[in-house]
Amino acid sequence: MGKWVKSGSPWIWMTGGAVSISLIAVLGLLLLIAWRGLSYFWPATIYQWELEDNTGARSTLIGEIYDREEVPTERLTAAGHVFKQPPGEFVTRYLVKTGNREFVGLDFRWILATDIISRSEPADVAMLERAKNGNFYGYPVAVIENGKRLELKNDALESSLMEHIDRAVALSDKALSLQKQDIGAINYKIEKLRLKERRYELDGELTDSRKQELAAAKVALEQDYKLLEKELFALRDEAARDSVIVRDMRGVEVELKLDSVLDVTYVNHLGLMGKIGKWFVGLGRFVSDDPREANTEGGVFPAIFGTVFMVLLMAIIVTPFGVIAAIYLHEYAKKGPITKMIRIAVINLAGVPSIVYGVFGLGFFVYMMGGSIDQLFYAEALPSPTFGSPGVIWSALTLAILTLPVVIVSTEEGLSRIPSAVRQGSLALGATKAETLWRIVIPMASPAIMTGLILAVARAAGEVAPLMLVGVVKLAPTLPLDLNFPFVHLERKFMHLGFHIYDVGFQSPNVEAARPLVYATSFLLVTVIVALNLTAISVRNHLREKYRSLEH
Amino acid sequence: MISIDSTAMKTNNFDLANLSQNDTALEIRNLDLRYGDKQALFNVSMKIPKMQVTAFIGPSGCGKSTLLRCINRMNDLVDNCHIDGEILLHGQNIYDKKIDVAALRRNVGMVFQRPNPFPKSIYENVVYGLRLQGINNRRELDEAAERSLRGAAIWDEVKDRLHDNAFGLSGGQQQRLVIARAIAIEPEVLLLDEPTSALDPISTLTIEELITELKTKYTVVIVTHNMQQAARVSDQTAFMYMGELVEYADTNTIFTTPKKRKTEDYITGRYG
Repeated sequence: MGKWVKSGSPWIWMTGGAVSISLIAVLGLLLLIAWRGLSYFWPATIYQWELEDNTGARSTLIGEIYDREEVPTERLTAAGHVFKQPPGEFVTRYLVKTGNREFVGLDFRWILATDIISRSEPADVAMLERAKNGNFYGYPVAVIENGKRLELKNDALESSLMEHIDRAVALSDKALSLQKQDIGAINYKIEKLRLKERRYELDGELTDSRKQELAAAKVALEQDYKLLEKELFALRDEAARDSVIVRDMRGVEVELKLDSVLDVTYVNHLGLMGKIGKWFVGLGRFVSDDPREANTEGGVFPAIFGTVFMVLLMAIIVTPFGVIAAIYLHEYAKKGPITKMIRIAVINLAGVPSIVYGVFGLGFFVYMMGGSIDQLFYAEALPSPTFGSPGVIWSALTLAILTLPVVIVSTEEGLSRIPSAVRQGSLALGATKAETLWRIVIPMASPAIMTGLILAVARAAGEVAPLMLVGVVKLAPTLPLDLNFPFVHLERKFMHLGFHIYDVGFQSPNVEAARPLVYATSFLLVTVIVALNLTAISVRNHLREKYRSLEH
Repeated sequence: MISIDSTAMKTNNFDLANLSQNDTALEIRNLDLRYGDKQALFNVSMKIPKMQVTAFIGPSGCGKSTLLRCINRMNDLVDNCHIDGEILLHGQNIYDKKIDVAALRRNVGMVFQRPNPFPKSIYENVVYGLRLQGINNRRELDEAAERSLRGAAIWDEVKDRLHDNAFGLSGGQQQRLVIARAIAIEPEVLLLDEPTSALDPISTLTIEELITELKTKYTVVIVTHNMQQAARVSDQTAFMYMGELVEYADTNTIFTTPKKRKTEDYITGRYG
């Protein structure tokens, strides 16, 4: 035993064990999130249950199994449940997603295995994805085109239904893009006109001729608006022309307007390839669509865009600042107690809780800087703030301060690793210190700068708490980039994947529906961060290859 | 006495103590140097003749490299370094406050112990000093690069890969590249700080041949550990010991009939 201890094996086992535990933790986390998140898009089988409860009342239930658990019989009896026949020690309980929210009140229901008489997988049951009120489960019976019920056989019904849905979806998409782009642009211009008039008024330059000019421009825009609005309503009416009749689990035939139906899936007669196809479609929509219904349905595209945009903006701000500060500290500052203290202070900045940065950002950036900018340049819009309210630029600045220490520390480390022989070689050729820095030292330190940036991006992309104070919102109506001049709108609020997770998971009215979305969004956030880091790492490796020297 | 082929010995027709202004490249006057409290050079005075190779020899830590680095003010980079005395170049003290250090270093080039190419292409290494002076004309740079690389006897080896990274060269090639880089800006004086100590014997030989050629255009000052090398390449030799200039005379005299006991002890290998 003593020999074994002396040989050093326990030490090796201990260190190896620590590595394995870390590895298992990381892989376990990723696998859990990936599995839960990605299986959300897998089309689940739709079952039909015949139920009879303990009072003898019979009912039919259509839906997907969402979850199952084993409940002790004792607990159910204690809660007042009476069993007709005493079951075993445990009873299985299923959580079923029934959809049809407007008719059944709750779209999730718990059922006990003891109540189930039979369970079947009817082939012609379908899931209709809707723009409002969540999914609808039932048997499509007929398609109504322009008020006329089409006579269709069973197979023809499915293809005809899909055809009509595709038509309605195309029209709705057209209406949406008309509303967002063309009508949005006109609204933007009308608002600009109002601000222009207000500015003239503030400057005391609002002459009658200008007034008339502005009024004429406004009238022209309003006319355009009326035309577009007409077009929009026409498109919407056209999309709402058809409807589908569906028999739901109560046996009632319900008419659904097709303008609110996004897709129909006959899950039970999809093959494996069909399901895989649906899975990819679902994933693609999640990544590219806007959210619907208080973020519990639809996609997260604005959140992905907001996260990446804000992080890139932060990187653009933090890199020059951090590098310049590090160069001063390392190259120019006299080595003494003050420099040492500054360095310690910078390193300790990294330990300040991030919410404190949020408070600082709100107080300093948003209210002081933003408020002053509004006073000076956007006085015509007051009292409604332009830059004086939380926005993406303030979020980026706040996170830039938060990640500044990381960039400074790794840049300094990079600077100190450059062999002094190379610096002296440059100086001996008649270069000044600044020339040596620009031509030799900074290029050679660029891989270290990139390392700092990678760490900064990893930290910033995952930070949520400070953003809640300085710019993130549950639902942003517009992206910070669009086609209206000046195209980049840094004062706008934005959506963020991290905040989206919190919002969907804890602020949502429908917790059961949201849970898989939390996993899916988490997985997406991790993917986005990994993608950003991989990009930065490949840039760094390229730089390393370019500026490699013999010493390291 | 170590055995040196006497035909390789340089004979000298200068009187080093009374060198005329025209023949002097550099004059060092009463130079003292302290690193903090520790004095490294004591009252060094000497005249370095133009278009000649002058070697500094002496045991480790005797201050020969320190003295060399005073000549282009590389010691300015060392904290706590304090210098008294004068070094005259064109009759002007280089430690004068009015002197532009960068301009001085353009005039007094330096090659270090270990090859220190920049992480750039061979071509960019050579034209670095010219680019610093704002020369960006492609033809001018190309000509200067070829001239310097030929001057450093490395042109034939690198002419086909001028745009490859300089770190791909061998140690000896890198050292010649660094010499090419130094002579590209056409300095008057070239300081070589143990230029062959990190190289193999064959590369050393190439560099030594190069040094003899360089003196047709430049005043060369070389620090070396290797007495044979000093004997082979230099016209004058200065022997230093403990921060003092012990003896300074033409190489022939130093190696055959040294006047001081310490010099004789050193070159006969009794210590050092």
